[in-house]
Amino acid sequence: MIDSKLYIDNNKTVTYGIFENPDKFLDTVGKVHAKGVHIIDCYTPYPLHGIDKAMGLKRSLLPIGAFIFGCCGFLTAFSLQYYMMTYDWPMVIGNKPTIGMSWVPVLFEMSILFTAFGLAFIFFFRSKLLHGKMPSERFDFRQTDDRMVVAIATDDRSIDKTELSSMLFNGGAVIVKERTNHDYDDFTDVEINRPVQYN
Amino acid sequence: MIHDSIIRPNLVIGDKTLHDVTTEICRPIENKPSMEWKIGFTLSAIFLGILGLTLTVTMMVGIGTWGLNKTVQWGWDITNFVFWVGIGHAGTLISAILLLFRQKWRMSINRSAEAMTIFAVMCAAIFPLFHQGRLWVGMYWVLPLPNAFGSLWVNFHSPLLWDVFAITTYFSVSLVFWYLGLIPDIATVRDRATTAGRKFWYNFWSMGWTGSVRTWNRYEVVALVLAGISTPLVLSVHTVVSMDFATSVVPGWHTTIFPPYFVAGAIFSGFGMVLTLLVIARKTMNYQDFITIGHLEAMCKVVMLTGSMVGLAYITEFFVAAYSGYEYEQYAFVNRATGPYWWAYWSMMTCNLIAPQVFWFKWARTTPWFIFMLSVVVNVGMWFERFVIIVTSLHREYLPSGWVMYSPTIVEIGIFLGTFGLFFTCFFLFAKFLPVINMFEVKSILKNRE
Repeated sequence: MIDSKLYIDNNKTVTYGIFENPDKFLDTVGKVHAKGVHIIDCYTPYPLHGIDKAMGLKRSLLPIGAFIFGCCGFLTAFSLQYYMMTYDWPMVIGNKPTIGMSWVPVLFEMSILFTAFGLAFIFFFRSKLLHGKMPSERFDFRQTDDRMVVAIATDDRSIDKTELSSMLFNGGAVIVKERTNHDYDDFTDVEINRPVQYN
Repeated sequence: MIHDSIIRPNLVIGDKTLHDVTTEICRPIENKPSMEWKIGFTLSAIFLGILGLTLTVTMMVGIGTWGLNKTVQWGWDITNFVFWVGIGHAGTLISAILLLFRQKWRMSINRSAEAMTIFAVMCAAIFPLFHQGRLWVGMYWVLPLPNAFGSLWVNFHSPLLWDVFAITTYFSVSLVFWYLGLIPDIATVRDRATTAGRKFWYNFWSMGWTGSVRTWNRYEVVALVLAGISTPLVLSVHTVVSMDFATSVVPGWHTTIFPPYFVAGAIFSGFGMVLTLLVIARKTMNYQDFITIGHLEAMCKVVMLTGSMVGLAYITEFFVAAYSGYEYEQYAFVNRATGPYWWAYWSMMTCNLIAPQVFWFKWARTTPWFIFMLSVVVNVGMWFERFVIIVTSLHREYLPSGWVMYSPTIVEIGIFLGTFGLFFTCFFLFAKFLPVINMFEVKSILKNRE
């Protein structure tokens, strides 16, 4: 289900460009994607609107999972109340029916509770977030501050790396580097020089 | 692709870059605490100590240390409970309902308002829990636990039990929402960390966040769904709190107007407390560029609107009592306004209905010191509202032989003051260790694009 191509560790060589202007970044990512080059991921300090379209990302299916968790919450609350109030020890309180409108608040609250926790859990699972995990895909310490990074898989030999890096530079990249992965969290970075401009 | 209106003024002033936002918001975390912080924290910790002391006395001696009696069985405890739960309503309202309404001004205040929600609900929970007397036995009355009392389960017909479910759900869902919003900002602090301790702890809580667009893409969907489910949740919580009263047969409580009236009151008091805190915080932490006069003005408008709604509810209650032809109900309201607790009633009317009307004037909405004074008035007024509803309805019910007066003991006063200690201690710790303003959301509304 999880596309293994998407993760940095699985790619031997990665070319990445660091940007400081969000608009230029957005345009360049769109151009690189349109060229058919495989973008592994982009890293931005805030949710940059429109980048999902530029990268060709689909809308997340997490709400379906949330709905299933909500249904589980509803069923749990229903069976809890049914078992306690009707089956195990039926009690008539204030002459109210044992199954009735007074069940609604707990049904509602439990559905919300399960939805929220379930959604958070599947979000963490799907995004591989875990307490204490070291951020392995950190290209620049300022990618959570003010810089945007685009990481492109360049394992494929048909990709012209010179053309790619000049495309990134022309699009407004301040730094372009090539990373070679040896093992998990073991890599070498080589900075690519800005192409010389002839007038 | 991105359209920014040219007519609307910037929500964040000072022509900031992305890096400026990070530096300015991280400043309190990365530097030694200021003198104001130290004084405030010490004072709050002293009051927290008072809370510990008075709760210990309550546990050691019993509920007899409180001023409750056979007629007034709910006094300051439930008044304070409803007061704090009400304050806890602004946070989720700001982050959930204003997110659905696409109100971007929420972005620099939602983090602190959500923190307030969590701390206020913690304060609120103390009162009903300790009112049970023997807390360790009380678990069986509030949670559906297997027990040795002949399988005596909790009563799902009771609004008091609904309240347990509503408030625990509200607390935990608000906590999840707050923490999810914090993860990207904790990661920012982590990547700037210079000390080993900060590197370790912020790394631990940031869960390996890298700012990946694939994660952001999911994150936005998660935030939207959480906002969608939190909106009915925030409205349901005070509705259920109002049912604690409305489903009884006590004159003055047995009213169908209670749910909307309580929800409006909760939003009113919540915004009152947000204003009290933020007017001080923006000044002492130097956040005037992020929490601008425009933000304060918008909140003042909400206070004025909800204050008027609450005022309308007060008058409607009177009308309904008069129109009902039910003399107990009529007496309950005449007694509120002219009986021995008249001062509480008129304090409530003055603070909640009359005082916020000054916000019709632009000067009042844009002058921070005046907003601060008025927000304190709103807090006092909303406390009196709960006192009026609870104590004046109970102290003179159907049987005149049961009529008594109620006054709190020193222990009750200590617990109430102590909850302020708990609330402010938590808030000061939050202001020191976590970014008070949502950095990534503020970055997304900067207008420094080319």
